[in-house]
Amino acid sequence: MRLAFRLFALFAILSLLAGSACRNAPKTIGEVVAIPVSAIPSDPGDAIWDHAPEYAAAMLLQDVVDPRLTKASTSEVRVRAITNGTIIGFRLQWLDPRKDDTPGPGLAVDSCAVQLPKAVAKDLPSPQMGEANRPVEVTLWRADWQAWASGRGGNIRDLYPNAAVDHYPFQAPPLETGSAGQKEMSTRYMPAQALGNQRNGPRESPVEDLVAEGPGTLKPEARSGSSGKGVWTKDGWMVVINRKLPASLGSGMRTQVAFAVWEGSHGEIGSRKMRTGWVSLLRRAEP
Amino acid sequence: MARVYNWQIGRQMSYWYPEARPKKQFAAVFDINKCIACQTCTLACKTTWTSGQGQEYMLWNNVETKPYGSYPLAWDLKLLESLGGQSWRENRYEGQTIFEAAPAGERVLGWKPTSDDYAYPNNGEDDCTGQVDKGAGFSIPHMNWFFYLARICNHCTYPACLAGCPRGSIYKRPDDGIVLLDQGRCRGYQECLRACPYKKSFFNPMVGTGEKCIACFPKIEQGLQPQCFLNCIGKIRLTGFISEPAKASADNPIDYLVHIRKVALPLFPQFGLEPNIYYIPPLHASLPFLNQMFGPGVEAARKTYRSASKDSDLAGLLCLFGSTESIVHRWRREGETVTGMDEKNSTLVRVPLTEPVYIRAAYDPKFQIVRTNCP
Ligand code: SF4
Ligand code: SF4
Repeated sequence: MRLAFRLFALFAILSLLAGSACRNAPKTIGEVVAIPVSAIPSDPGDAIWDHAPEYAAAMLLQDVVDPRLTKASTSEVRVRAITNGTIIGFRLQWLDPRKDDTPGPGLAVDSCAVQLPKAVAKDLPSPQMGEANRPVEVTLWRADWQAWASGRGGNIRDLYPNAAVDHYPFQAPPLETGSAGQKEMSTRYMPAQALGNQRNGPRESPVEDLVAEGPGTLKPEARSGSSGKGVWTKDGWMVVINRKLPASLGSGMRTQVAFAVWEGSHGEIGSRKMRTGWVSLLRRAEP
Repeated sequence: MARVYNWQIGRQMSYWYPEARPKKQFAAVFDINKCIACQTCTLACKTTWTSGQGQEYMLWNNVETKPYGSYPLAWDLKLLESLGGQSWRENRYEGQTIFEAAPAGERVLGWKPTSDDYAYPNNGEDDCTGQVDKGAGFSIPHMNWFFYLARICNHCTYPACLAGCPRGSIYKRPDDGIVLLDQGRCRGYQECLRACPYKKSFFNPMVGTGEKCIACFPKIEQGLQPQCFLNCIGKIRLTGFISEPAKASADNPIDYLVHIRKVALPLFPQFGLEPNIYYIPPLHASLPFLNQMFGPGVEAARKTYRSASKDSDLAGLLCLFGSTESIVHRWRREGETVTGMDEKNSTLVRVPLTEPVYIRAAYDPKFQIVRTNCP
């Protein structure tokens, strides 16, 4: 009798929980469905996301190319999608009890990415970064970029608050603070920046558009324009990536999409990542 | 993995890419016995190349006190421990290289230092060793010796940094064998940090790319020795180009010291990279320690070096260290004079085998003054 009551109570609690979840989110579905909206919000917490159905993508180890990830971390990424006919927005959510947004030697930052085949076609390139002559487009979001886009400063003390620096040669007289001469001299010690490859430091956007034709070939896409925003709570990351809708993905049509998540506290970086295979993506027709 | 020949370990080994030796290979000899750890080399590099934001902790050139010093912390011990048995049968290495010992899913056996590991660039400085007239207050292994180990990137023939990078952002120049990191291509994955056993690839957190010693290539291209060589107070360093053993030529200073007299040895040859900075081992440190660090040739190298006072050729060539800013491609000794030549055989410098000694009276009668005793 007592056992029966306990089972009943447990059932009642589970039903309540399930009910409250259902009120917030439409049911989990078997593919990513981008619902039509009139405007694309940048805030991951915007109420519009409640209208988009959620797809729970199971994540796989990147165990195809060396160096690989050999121990699994993030098991699932929950994805919602919206489109206004020009932009497609994805919201990725995953559990992560620790925020890793500080770069440094031996450190990795939390990141995620959305990948689409460049051509909307039946014949798909490899989901592992595409293939020669069959490129994929990737939009990458990084937690450290988010911190910089949200106002983190460009001084070493913004990363190492206790850093003590005696002197930088470009900060010595007669060079004046903020002068062109000072900038020119400081850039001499930053060849990557001089080549337009500043990976870290203050930036406006936390995302980057890329193309790839196979592992190790990733390069920035000349015509970019994506945007994004990530918010961390103790439940993990909620990240919005807004990028251009593939031109030939008409209303009611399907293409494929893949996702990747890097868990910073697990040392995941570059090819050491959790990823999905191709997942069907439907652009739901306007009602 | 390809099969390549590594003469330093006397055998073929596995490497990520096929053997592709450069036309010339940048190389150097450091005479450890002359190093005084003044860190002038460290500062010469620092002020030239790594004075920017994000480079504060970075020492492309560093000098550490062995056996206790290391930068980054325990760079050598960590890898030696994970590599397992490293035995030699005469000049053939019988253990595994870091390429052969790579675990499944990895390109190279490695480990990644963190910021903290770089926080003690000169830990263990001058910690040794003996002298302890009144008895030591403690007991440690290696009580009675220490030496200074100056280190730069080895511009390895089989670079692990290059093998480790999944993007191919690191390349070895076919003309001079200098290993460079393409600052336009690197995406900051830090795989080179993990892979380089010598920990001579660094990560710049403000720029977000890897950075490393460039062998001062703009100087090399002009026939000049790098900054850390030029500024060396102890004149311990000589830049040059090394041939493969079968093509060694006695008038090439590096070939002479490494291949012909075998007085200069590679650092941890068992790692398998064929590093190109060669060290004349210290005379007074523990032989087993040095065998682990420089391979089986240490005893013979020290014997040869000890004989230099009676060996005009060896002593003569050692006199060319620190004698000119230019790279000495060829050398010869004629009687009491040693000549260093450039690539076209033009004379760069002449040095006497024995420095002339002038003795001046302590009192200068002309100026009626006592002379101070400075050289
Ligand atoms: S010493 Fe390290 S960084 Fe230099 S070439 Fe060798 S593996 Fe690369
Ligand atoms: S060779 Fe040049 S870049 Fe390399 S450690 Fe010496 S000074 Fe620095």
